[in-house]
Amino acid sequence: MKAGIINLNSGNLLSIVSAVEKCGCETRVITKPDANFDVLVMPGQGRFGFVCEQLNQNNWREFILDWIAQGKRFIGICVGMQVLFEKSLEDETAQGLAVFNGAIDKLKHPKTPMVGWAQLDSADTFYQNQFVYFVNSYGLPASDYCLATVNYGEQFCAIVKKDNVTGFQFHPEKSGHYGLEVLQRCLA
Amino acid sequence: MSLVPRIIPCLDVANGRVVKGTNFKQLLDMGDPIELALKYETQGADEIVFLDIKASVDKQASALAMIKKVAMTLSIPFTVGGGIKQLSDVDKFFDAGADKVTLNTAAVENPQLINQIANKYGSQSLIIAIDVNHESNGDLAIYTHGGSKRVKKPYANWINEVVERGAGEVLMTAMHKDGTGSGFDLELLKQADFPLPIIASGGANKPKDFLDAISAGADAVLAAGIFHRDEFTVADVKNYLINNNIKMRI
Repeated sequence: MKAGIINLNSGNLLSIVSAVEKCGCETRVITKPDANFDVLVMPGQGRFGFVCEQLNQNNWREFILDWIAQGKRFIGICVGMQVLFEKSLEDETAQGLAVFNGAIDKLKHPKTPMVGWAQLDSADTFYQNQFVYFVNSYGLPASDYCLATVNYGEQFCAIVKKDNVTGFQFHPEKSGHYGLEVLQRCLA
Repeated sequence: MSLVPRIIPCLDVANGRVVKGTNFKQLLDMGDPIELALKYETQGADEIVFLDIKASVDKQASALAMIKKVAMTLSIPFTVGGGIKQLSDVDKFFDAGADKVTLNTAAVENPQLINQIANKYGSQSLIIAIDVNHESNGDLAIYTHGGSKRVKKPYANWINEVVERGAGEVLMTAMHKDGTGSGFDLELLKQADFPLPIIASGGANKPKDFLDAISAGADAVLAAGIFHRDEFTVADVKNYLINNNIKMRI
């Protein structure tokens, strides 16, 4: 399995690269579109608008939409998941990829940003009651494609999935051994 | 369901080895940082903090190679601190793969650095460490330079300033408790009235000390010697807490 890690100049990639490799994948960090992979992983830290702007460089937007339309595997993490939606309250003029319908909202967290471990709620026993690591202020309150939710002040989506596209609001690469199992499940 | 309290082993690093002191003095060799961190992750640690004591005192930059190796090895978040003077030092730590940085001396000497880091990397990336000491006259005083230099700024003012400038968490060390094994300073935790997660540090000797700190309001508990000396594993502490109705990640 060959995984391409998309570098959008949005945070350090060492942890995600190492995690994907621990799952048995060959990895390469790519700064320009390259289709020579079995799966693409798009991490993202920082602002929604910044990541959307990065997608406008190097033809990323067209390439990713085309890749997904072909039914190939794609994983988005944190802001890398959020930009798969239409837009975000964080940067209202920025355009997401609109792979999923819906808008990212400011969450009603007791303390902002949410930083720490919280337990998933899911109909899937693989996810139910597992602890994963979150770092976010914005998120998706609800979606038809929600596979697992989490509650911190209010309920929001922790995992979304549509066909071969999976999005994680939390950081599987920072969620210990279980996080690696989560990654492995969509990489295997 | 919500965020669960975290257990955070702290590795004080000097010259590439983990060390442990008593009341900030008398350093003892405790082993290899990467090996120890991985052991604690396996035991169920929620986060790891690496503090480069020597860097702060000798004004040396910390070993970036070690941070990179940690980022590649661990699957849980980790924080690094020590030797940070300016934003460019912080850039190097994040470039090497650190999830958060922690500042003490640099934050007191150059409070604007708190704003700079929060603006560039977000509040979630910044822990302000505050070393508090009970002076003989009963006052709470703050210290920098690894506990060797008393700061004139009053404790309460400094807390407010740290919050306003955009810190993400506060790592509170009770110096008068550090390394003594006499438990955390519960009064200090109970009095702490600010809107940031608080990491209690200094004085953990047994699992009950963790329970007391969490019950007194700590969002996370940081400890070193109790784990390094193999008196209790992280799992022992978590099991004790779970048995006392504290929800923990296992």
